[in-house]
Amino acid sequence: MTALLRYHAALLLRSQRWLAPFLLYAVFVGIGVQAGEPVLGALGYAVEGLVPVTAWAVRICLNQEPSAARTVTAAAAGPARAHGAAVLTATGAVLLVGAVAVVAVTAFGDPKGASPLSAGAAGLLAAAVCVLTGTAVGALTTRPLIRSRGWSLTTLLLASLLALVTTGSPAAGAVSALVTAAGPGTVPYPWPALAGAVALAATAVTLACRTTARRG
Amino acid sequence: MILEGVGRRYGPRGPWVLREVGLTLPAGTLTRFTGGNGTGKSTLLRLVAGVDAPGAGRITGRPARTAYVPERFPAALPLTAAGYLVHLGRIQGLGGREARARAAEWLERFGAAAHRDAPLAELSKGTSQKVAVAQALLAEPGLLVLDEAWTGLDTGARAALDRAVRERVAAGGRVVFVDHDPRRLAGEADAEYVVAEGGVRRAEPECVVAEGGVRRAEPEAPVLAQVRVTASGGVHPPPGIEGFATELPGGAGRLTVTVDAARSDEVLRTLLDAGWHVEDLRTTVTAARPEDTARATEGVRG
Repeated sequence: MTALLRYHAALLLRSQRWLAPFLLYAVFVGIGVQAGEPVLGALGYAVEGLVPVTAWAVRICLNQEPSAARTVTAAAAGPARAHGAAVLTATGAVLLVGAVAVVAVTAFGDPKGASPLSAGAAGLLAAAVCVLTGTAVGALTTRPLIRSRGWSLTTLLLASLLALVTTGSPAAGAVSALVTAAGPGTVPYPWPALAGAVALAATAVTLACRTTARRG
Repeated sequence: MILEGVGRRYGPRGPWVLREVGLTLPAGTLTRFTGGNGTGKSTLLRLVAGVDAPGAGRITGRPARTAYVPERFPAALPLTAAGYLVHLGRIQGLGGREARARAAEWLERFGAAAHRDAPLAELSKGTSQKVAVAQALLAEPGLLVLDEAWTGLDTGARAALDRAVRERVAAGGRVVFVDHDPRRLAGEADAEYVVAEGGVRRAEPECVVAEGGVRRAEPEAPVLAQVRVTASGGVHPPPGIEGFATELPGGAGRLTVTVDAARSDEVLRTLLDAGWHVEDLRTTVTAARPEDTARATEGVRG
């Protein structure tokens, strides 16, 4: 698995396809978060952007191999593992970006009584929730489940949006906990949302990996 | 390694491309598949390699190290030739140092050592194919699947691949291949199967022997390939091919059709769709240069 992750990470880095989603995310955080603003609210805003960014990154990683190369990798490692490694590479990359964003937002925000450390920890948890939710969205809206480019992009965007506004979605829960807590100053740790996001991502990725060899 | 009742179709309601395929691939054997275009050879190879899962039946005993070489490898990947090979070597379970050494060794064997640091996207078609072949041989796979892997290789590299295949078989590996050239590893395959009409059957040994004795046109010479199809079980020749079909004597409902190879798939489809049963499929190759016009039978499929 490590070798597969290294291979997909090398493809992602060298292809420079990561630039578009990550630069867009940097602009999103840069525009929306101001220095000195209440830190929990700012964190809520920053982590919600990670949902579409992760879904987009998953889509990039699943499509970065031409079909001949994908066949070669699938024969060498098994199609399900090869597919899973591509998804995990994207998840890992966005987790890193999300962690950097959380640290930066916490450093420049106003803790309003909460300790920066606990605010940062809550932000990291919420970032993980959003990245995992985005992973599920990306895995369900790309090959092998949706192959047509147009439908894939449309459902990816719609599902990302729904994941952020639907009650019961782990990402929506984690973000709203941070935003509503921005007032009183107590720090919410979204553990139930994290458990939900782990289950959601695991189910979605397993489904996609199992389907990939069947629908080739 | 055993395939039992294996079937594959594209889409839950699509027609079966392959059905009820049963065969055994013992260790240390070379297996060849033949058959016309669009009969499902590539589909079968993908199932054997484990790239696709069968929709019916099961495949057991596939070795842990499996490698596949596609016919064309236009790998527009942002890696160098050696870099790609090292990644693939690691994915197949080699350590980093060993993967680097083997990558260099196999590029050398295929005469592509000069391109080791060239980006994959800039390689010629032939050199890309050398990388695709080297990738498969790096980790000494227990199962090597070659789908027209020789296509695009120069003479030296084709001979190097023939040697590598023999080495794999001698070392106890299973090698499975498809190649359009009937002389490829002629007489060396331990088993030869014909893929046709969604099924796989063993080629008759007489035909293989006969093939060896027939004079062939030079591969470089332009050739006119024609396909003669014998079919039975229908009532009237289906629309679209009446003009080409000849009804055969000796019982109603048999006919032969002779068409250019390029049209053979279309004719086969028309016949099968109309409920005809294809009995026999022969490819005849006629060299365009008159001095080479020895009619050669490329494949007799009884």
